[in-house]
Amino acid sequence: MEHKKTIDAKIERALEGLDGIQRAAAQPWLYSRVMGRLQREEKTVWESIGSFLSKPAVAMAGLTTILVLNLFVLFKQNSFQDATAVAGTNQGVQITDSESIIASNSSFDYENLVQP
Amino acid sequence: MQKNQGLDERILVNQLKQGDETAFKTIVATWQDMVYNTALGIVQNAEDAEDIAQEVFVQVYQSINSFKGDSKFSTWLYRITITKSLDHERRKKRKKRFAFVKSLFGEESEVVIHPPDFNHPGVVLDKKEDAAALFAAIAGLPENQRIAFTLHKVEGLSYQEVSDVMKTTVSSVESLMHRARINLKKLLEVYYKEKG
Repeated sequence: MEHKKTIDAKIERALEGLDGIQRAAAQPWLYSRVMGRLQREEKTVWESIGSFLSKPAVAMAGLTTILVLNLFVLFKQNSFQDATAVAGTNQGVQITDSESIIASNSSFDYENLVQP
Repeated sequence: MQKNQGLDERILVNQLKQGDETAFKTIVATWQDMVYNTALGIVQNAEDAEDIAQEVFVQVYQSINSFKGDSKFSTWLYRITITKSLDHERRKKRKKRFAFVKSLFGEESEVVIHPPDFNHPGVVLDKKEDAAALFAAIAGLPENQRIAFTLHKVEGLSYQEVSDVMKTTVSSVESLMHRARINLKKLLEVYYKEKG
């Protein structure tokens, strides 16, 4: 019982242990340390660009743009090739037509062409 | 007086927003003890508290534009300090756990544990022993209770100020303080019983 009373008294005393506490003072060189840290943390332009590009959102957006551009170029190229092929075929038809016109005009006889 | 202080605060903040280093120097000089003392109360280690105080002011310099003036500048500073202190503690705990695991695998035999008898330099001389026991008990409190108790008892903030910093109501702070006191009694009882 006496022991319990002693412990209770100690607890009460401990709970008042912070009464009248004074604010602890920081070291006087804190400002120069802070400035030193700030200078170390200052990034160069290229570091800033690098860290900006390495952000997941920016990196994903960049990749998506490159992918979209690639697909665009690919489709564009395919459609250009198709268009060229069609144009080529049409040109071929035209050539054939013009050749036959010339042939008919000049009475060109292909069948009885003298072979060398 | 309070009004003038608020005005000075606003002027200093605006000057810092414009990149004025003299204003930053004044800000550090004005609030460094407040920041250091709060961090010291939470992490209970002078070196760590100094490190945290530096981190706090670096963040103040870098993110001053995010301070909109909705609260007092000191309230904003308290919040940064508490966040940094708790982050620091978590990092330290992770390191301790990692060191413990490493020691289990025989890679490192020594686990660094800080001594429980932290002595706050501002404690009245004849209360040093009681305060050390109380600080050891405070370290065992849940986070919210620990912050409320430290801000009120170590920094001397009123319940209203504590509630502003913790973004809660005064009655919540009263409740946190009440529960903190109950828990501290339990922790101190265990401590004194073990001590004999």
